[in-house]
Amino acid sequence: MTDAPLTPREDDSALAAEYVLGVLPLPDRAAAEARMKHDPAFAAEVAAWETHFGALNDGFAEAAPPDLMPAIEARLFPAAPARRAGWFGWLVGAVTAAALVLAAVLALPWLAPEHQMHADLTADGTQLVYQVSYAGDQLTVTRIGGEPAPPGQVHELWLIAGNAAPVSLGLIEGDDAVLAMPAPAAGVVLAVSLEPEGGSPSGQPTGPVLVTGVVSDA
Amino acid sequence: MDDPVAELLLQVAAQDRAAFRALYTAAGAKLMGVALRMLSDRQEAEEAVQEVFTRVWLRAGRFDPGRGRGMTWLIALMRNHAIDRLRARPDPVAEEGAVDALRDSGPTAEGAAIAVGESRRVADCFGQLEPDRAAAVRGAYLDGLSYQDLALRHAVPLNTMRTWLRRSLIRLRECLEQ
Repeated sequence: MTDAPLTPREDDSALAAEYVLGVLPLPDRAAAEARMKHDPAFAAEVAAWETHFGALNDGFAEAAPPDLMPAIEARLFPAAPARRAGWFGWLVGAVTAAALVLAAVLALPWLAPEHQMHADLTADGTQLVYQVSYAGDQLTVTRIGGEPAPPGQVHELWLIAGNAAPVSLGLIEGDDAVLAMPAPAAGVVLAVSLEPEGGSPSGQPTGPVLVTGVVSDA
Repeated sequence: MDDPVAELLLQVAAQDRAAFRALYTAAGAKLMGVALRMLSDRQEAEEAVQEVFTRVWLRAGRFDPGRGRGMTWLIALMRNHAIDRLRARPDPVAEEGAVDALRDSGPTAEGAAIAVGESRRVADCFGQLEPDRAAAVRGAYLDGLSYQDLALRHAVPLNTMRTWLRRSLIRLRECLEQ
């Protein structure tokens, strides 16, 4: 084997492979992740290594998990309020039947109502305000007050349902971001935290939470 | 499409909750296996699986069946999340006991049938590396070992470890591209 230095192309490919293997220390890992977001060639190299190393996936033995689905669903789809009993329950039933008829009519494509949600993310003591709206499978987050993140840092949007750990929805680079995702349920909390460039390295908010808001039907 | 997991992912992307449950039934055990092997802690592995399935619901729209198999995509999500957890740990040394307990379990029949062509090619190319270097790459992929862990395990300085792993990766890539 020669000891010639790697060419820049080889160097990038080795970095992509190191990222996929996961051997890099946290700061280098975060830097590689940030680079994937605006360097398509590097992102493609990462994808190629994911496919190559996928051949090693047989090495992972299966292990039956407990049924985590109730906890996962509780987090993603907060339950509708329980129905009241007695005559009110009957009334709700009648209304539901009427609603089903209405829904069947509305299901005609040209009449289909869009699922629309909305939230304002604010906090005391800051000018920062993000407005979040959801329509047509896309969540749009727009800064309508305050300053963007300082250089070297970024605002990251989180979804928090109940007592579960926050889930990152994506980074807000610039004044706004559009994220393709399913509709968030009314009542879940959205929050924006300040994170190092490339986003939280741990998958959980590491910087201060700047603003929060509750999702409601638009 | 001969990829039931990919079909379920496409349905999940269309917000089909029944498909989401079916996906948990189809892929839960494999992802739990990945989490358990890499994190070596059952409770943390369960948390990680829960976290990853939550992300799957939110991100299934980014899955592109033209670029790879559904299970490969899911395992990449699971591994990335496990690695994030491992690298965020204060003490990066892997817990050997739990790792060893799982190491000897063989490949599953289903898994073996999935990517035979690619597996064989990758296996051939691994075979051209020195055995200890191939073992280092496998250890990093399957057990989530960091450069620090690998340097300890192979009793070489960290920089030496990095230099020879990077060279092995480039040789692997040259072989795979042929």
